[in-house]
Amino acid sequence: MPQISLTIDGIEIEADEGTMVLDVARKAGIEIPTVCAHEDLAPYGACRLCIVDIEGLPGLPTSCTTPAAPGMVVHTQTEALQSLRQRTLELMLSGHPKGCLVCPHRTDCENHRPNPTKAGRTTRCGFCSNRSGCSIRDMSFEMCPTSELDLPTIYYGYNLERSDPFMDRDYNLCVLCAKCWRICEKIHGKPALSLVNRGRWARPGTNFDKSYVGSGCTFCGACIDICPTGTLSDRTGRWHGQPDKITLSTCTLCPEGCSMWVHTTDGKVTSTRMWAFDRESRLCALGRFVFAQMHNAPIRLRRPYVRTNGESIPMEWDDALKAAAERLSAFDKGQVVVIASECDTRETRYLYQKLAVEELSADVLFVPLGGSGDPSLGERLRDGSVKAAIVAGDFLDQESIERLECLIAVDWRPSDVSRNADIVLPAAILSESEGTFRDASGNVRSVPCCSETVGEARPEWRIVRDIARAMGSEEFDYETINDVTSEIVDDRPPSPWNGSPRDNLKELPGHFRGHCIADSAQEVEMLGLPTKAVRKRSETEEEGFRIIEKKEIVPNFHLLEVEAPQVARFAKPGQFVIVMVSEESERVPYTLADWNEETGTITMIVEEVGRSSREVALLKEGGMIAHVTGPLGMPVNIEKFGTVVMGAGCYGVGAVYPIARAMKAAGNRVITVVEACSYYLIYWEDKLAEVSDEILFATKDGSRGTHGGVQDVFGQLLTSTDGGSDPPDVFVAIGCTFMMRSAVEVTRASRVPTYVALNPIMVDGTGMCGACRCTVEGETRFACIDGPIFNGHEVDWDELSSRRSAYANVEVEALSHGGPPEPLEAQAGGSAARGVCSEDRCDFANIRPTYGN
Amino acid sequence: MKAFEKLQEAAAVEWQRFSCENQARILVGSATCGRAAGALSVLEAFSTELEKHGLHEKVMLSEVGCLGLCHAEVLVEIKGLDGRSVLYQKVDARSVPRIVKSHLIDGEPSSRKALAIMSDGPHNGLPTFAELPFVRHQVKIVLRNCGIIDPTNIDHYIARGGYSGLIRSLSIEPDEVIEEMVSSGLRGRGGAGFPTGRKWGLASEAAGEDKYVICNADEGDPGAFMDRSVLESDPQSVLEGMLVAGYAIGSRFGYVYCRDEYPLAIERLQTAIAQMREKGLLGEDILGSGFSFDIKIKRGAGAFVCGEETALMASVEGRRGMPMPKPPFPAVSGLFHKPTCINNVETLASVSAIMERGPDWYSTYGTEQSRGTKTFALTGKINNAGLIEVPMGISLRTIIEDIGGGIPDDRQFKAVQTGGPSGGCIPAELLDLPVDYEHLREAGSIMGSGGMVVMDEQSCMVDVSRYFVTFTENESCGKCVPCRMGTQHVLNILTEITEGRGNAAQIEQLNKIGDTMRRASLCGLGQTAPNPVLSTLRFFGDEYRAHVEEKKCPAGVCRSMVTFTINAETCTGCRACSMSCPVEGISGEKKTPHKIDQLVCIQCGSCRDVCHFDAVLVD
Repeated sequence: MPQISLTIDGIEIEADEGTMVLDVARKAGIEIPTVCAHEDLAPYGACRLCIVDIEGLPGLPTSCTTPAAPGMVVHTQTEALQSLRQRTLELMLSGHPKGCLVCPHRTDCENHRPNPTKAGRTTRCGFCSNRSGCSIRDMSFEMCPTSELDLPTIYYGYNLERSDPFMDRDYNLCVLCAKCWRICEKIHGKPALSLVNRGRWARPGTNFDKSYVGSGCTFCGACIDICPTGTLSDRTGRWHGQPDKITLSTCTLCPEGCSMWVHTTDGKVTSTRMWAFDRESRLCALGRFVFAQMHNAPIRLRRPYVRTNGESIPMEWDDALKAAAERLSAFDKGQVVVIASECDTRETRYLYQKLAVEELSADVLFVPLGGSGDPSLGERLRDGSVKAAIVAGDFLDQESIERLECLIAVDWRPSDVSRNADIVLPAAILSESEGTFRDASGNVRSVPCCSETVGEARPEWRIVRDIARAMGSEEFDYETINDVTSEIVDDRPPSPWNGSPRDNLKELPGHFRGHCIADSAQEVEMLGLPTKAVRKRSETEEEGFRIIEKKEIVPNFHLLEVEAPQVARFAKPGQFVIVMVSEESERVPYTLADWNEETGTITMIVEEVGRSSREVALLKEGGMIAHVTGPLGMPVNIEKFGTVVMGAGCYGVGAVYPIARAMKAAGNRVITVVEACSYYLIYWEDKLAEVSDEILFATKDGSRGTHGGVQDVFGQLLTSTDGGSDPPDVFVAIGCTFMMRSAVEVTRASRVPTYVALNPIMVDGTGMCGACRCTVEGETRFACIDGPIFNGHEVDWDELSSRRSAYANVEVEALSHGGPPEPLEAQAGGSAARGVCSEDRCDFANIRPTYGN
Repeated sequence: MKAFEKLQEAAAVEWQRFSCENQARILVGSATCGRAAGALSVLEAFSTELEKHGLHEKVMLSEVGCLGLCHAEVLVEIKGLDGRSVLYQKVDARSVPRIVKSHLIDGEPSSRKALAIMSDGPHNGLPTFAELPFVRHQVKIVLRNCGIIDPTNIDHYIARGGYSGLIRSLSIEPDEVIEEMVSSGLRGRGGAGFPTGRKWGLASEAAGEDKYVICNADEGDPGAFMDRSVLESDPQSVLEGMLVAGYAIGSRFGYVYCRDEYPLAIERLQTAIAQMREKGLLGEDILGSGFSFDIKIKRGAGAFVCGEETALMASVEGRRGMPMPKPPFPAVSGLFHKPTCINNVETLASVSAIMERGPDWYSTYGTEQSRGTKTFALTGKINNAGLIEVPMGISLRTIIEDIGGGIPDDRQFKAVQTGGPSGGCIPAELLDLPVDYEHLREAGSIMGSGGMVVMDEQSCMVDVSRYFVTFTENESCGKCVPCRMGTQHVLNILTEITEGRGNAAQIEQLNKIGDTMRRASLCGLGQTAPNPVLSTLRFFGDEYRAHVEEKKCPAGVCRSMVTFTINAETCTGCRACSMSCPVEGISGEKKTPHKIDQLVCIQCGSCRDVCHFDAVLVD
């Protein structure tokens, strides 16, 4: 390319002719904002943020699509450009749930809640799994210090798409940068997705809105990895946040040995990514999505076991190894066989080989991926020539297992082999152990250890070494893996896998070390991979509490009306129930938002914020809930106070309703303050208006009422000097901890009692477990039986917050095991159709914004 | 070109048969517009009637294209056995027997439906066609054959000078053709007005063997039908233009991108292409000239944005029709990344005329900067709605008052919207504005492809701009931010205002969003989408303020803000209003003043529309 010279912002710059102006500027250290440009993608020019002024060219061309030409004079930072960019960014974000970006309490709120809430629908940054890695967010802080256009958010109300394996999709967040289908086209040639529909309904999607499994998608994950928003996300990895370490490694799930980045946080594998956005580097569905799930599978072998007197007993490693050595020594030459996977690190294979040949004079059998053991093995077991085996995987049938006199299992998860083994030695897998890998084409690739092993599991090379040592060998004095690697002189590549997992979803290997992959990652069953697991049918049970109504009333908030006559009969304002969705669910407290003694029904408002509330979100009308216990807790003290101000946010909007109703009935003047992130999240407005003398609104984006939260309106009411109205006598605030705490701080100086409904983690709800312990007036109280309503001025809020976040990591892990995808009909619109744009949206999609408030 | 002379001779014979003086004939205008008015049943009625009178062998019955007098459809031209030719208007099947009898049998033109006399000789009190106010100010170059020839007969086209322009082009160098195009001053008629000769020059200079010519027939503006009429009435003129363009830039292949909503246009194009091929005017070595060219029709699915050239090319390539930033311009890298010359239907029809009669002739029409003629689809609150062709520089007043015959019911002219959804509204005070590219732009509008919607005092300008933004909001492809989001917000705000929830801050928001869209959008759709709003804000700001400040719609259109009452003084009790009321909300005895029940009234305005006495008042 010939070199040319051009001027950008007064600086003369040399560049290759034809390089885009954006790239030239970046190389020279001049930053131009952009969302849709990407170094791995062809110029597209959609976000319009990188517009520049080029002397002699009409209009304001986008620098990402304009090739540099000799003598060009480019201005990138004029006032006009900056103003136009700001407006364009505001326009872009007006189609994205951006409440947090313009919230006056953002900094405090995010300090209070460092990790995003694990919502179903993302309605703001605080609910977005992409928050920590979001570049648009930073851009907005930098470019939009104050609003120029003052636009409300348009919320499209698309249904969540959670019924495909591995991926969650929420098109309500999409800014149409089109990186998803552009990278898909670049990597796969014929993209599985494109933009569909026009104008306001334009969004990414498949042809005729087919499921991704049938759209030609191979689940390489590139679209997710390149998405700048939370629109496309990796279901099991999304809530882990940014990794603290990224390691270049090799996938050893099949003999292809693809290179990949392994993302880890605190030593846990959270995700794996293709190592470059090009065709050669693409991963298969297993490499991209299942690799991490295998590590984090809830069922793993965690401790060594030794069978003594017929019973398998956990042992210390030294004892287990000693036992293994002793048992093996009892057999003669040729009576032992070693069976391991062929698709493993060179070191592991080498050491098995060496152990077999040098110490046991045994045969070693390396089973190719998807293959079975040596057919002659059964014969040799039957004729008694083989009596003992070391088996590193699920490689033996029941008959063989039974015929063996001694079985040593070195493995990572239970199988019939380990269940019947005399000795079980738990092994580290994949990125838990280091080594080198020879792929099917013969290349040697590095497999660094980048995650922690589970329980007491150990890398296999050390297990094999230590068995040999325990048998008295001096030939196994390896200290590091390199000592092993350097001894390997002549190893064969594993037999190639018969299929192209990266190009064809139907050619994925179904096994890893003889185990069904689907047993550890249930979603792959959808791709037709085999499983041995017996799944419990989660059909609605006949017994329990019938669901009369279940509806997503505004994004992420579910109304649940259940037949529970005993609860309805005794319920009082401020009380709650404990719900178990199924027999195996957690117990979760939900405030009673309404009840009807006559019909015997109770109503709850449930916000989807984690695993248990997700179970609620997926319930259907007419189904059953396993358990509803209540009413629990102390009712609110209702009497005539004078003026009562009710502050409500999120689920609290439902929770304050019965209290407001009772307060009003007791002759109080009731002022209700409803807080929401944005106008489209306000619900029960009519219902609350009926039981309030006045209803006020506060939104975090200023799209309705006061720009701010309940605390701001409480402040206004306290300082309000307009003569006619009396000052408040009592405040009640129900919502998230941050809101209640902020509201309490505002009213503290006034000493007006401010009642809050504390929401600590609760287990039994009847005062037995003590999980909901909190400190009020310097004394330990139980929120379940002494509360949940307390005077907020007396609450130890720091303690409450820290107790609430005690299980933050476990809560994230609970969502990262890759359970079954969501059934289509569970979606908010109630319709299984994903086709026509009007049908793939929810009822609440028609709420209209107002302008120029 | 011996071969061509032969074609011309054969065509002349055919044309003579069609048009000679002693050949009685009936021509029925049956383009889509005529057909919508019932041309096919009129055609059938004539056929039956001729047979009945045993005239079917003596009188030729033929379909022709569109003469442009939409307000007078179905148009039928009848030449009697005596050679006298009369144009009849608003013909329906019922009137056919009378017309046949009086004109063809009795030799006396039927006076009731007669509009003009087309032949020389006695007038019978009828005006000549050329004298009609609708026709008098027009200059027909693009529409030269429309309504005159049978569009399915290539000989008619050839006989009237068709393809002699191509033959002349082939006899000179391609560069000379381009030079002639430059000197003719022709500018692109698709809207932007880029000089055609220069566009060809760029495509001609562009490196590469394969080049393409595309005829953009994706006419998508609501209310515009110029291109459709040309394709239906004179397809050959466009195809000839493509051949000339192909020769000039060195291309061998062309596409006609026509929306599938134009089935008749596509059918006529197919017929025309087949006939060209038959005559050796298409394919390898055209008429032995050594020049080869072929044409394929590509049907579009009707997305408005596909009229934008880069989106159109993406669509031809089989991709989603979305625009790409320019440069690179299509002339350098277009269809399949090859140099491509995209011209609009009207431009290409002008090209064939220019090559036939020469650039000097063409440039005598129009103004210094805007040469030649322009077709317009004149619609809205106007007496003579129709398709017109006028020289550039003509005043809006001439178009509206003379050609259009003014506003119906003597109402007040308020504004004219030019350029379709991308254009703006021009107010009454600018009625003397000369119509050319520069003046329209200065007035905040554009020439566009030629839509011209006339509005009277009963048109609410906020509602009008809401209508156009509804269209662009729906048709935005969604690719770029300012257009996708801007149209949504502008539409939302206009809806708020027209529904009575407006506030003053919103007017500022409209201006700012509009300005952002205009300057930052990717393609012409987004850049011009705010024009209807910005131009009405500029010229009719008071009307916006009345909506937001007083919650009043001065034109009485925005339902939530109007109350209809009946003036007892002027009401004659004719019952027209109570009959038209869809909710039975008007009561009153016959011949006594009526009354509107405000509780029932849905503010639809039907009563006002039907009242002949201006007795329905709006507040």
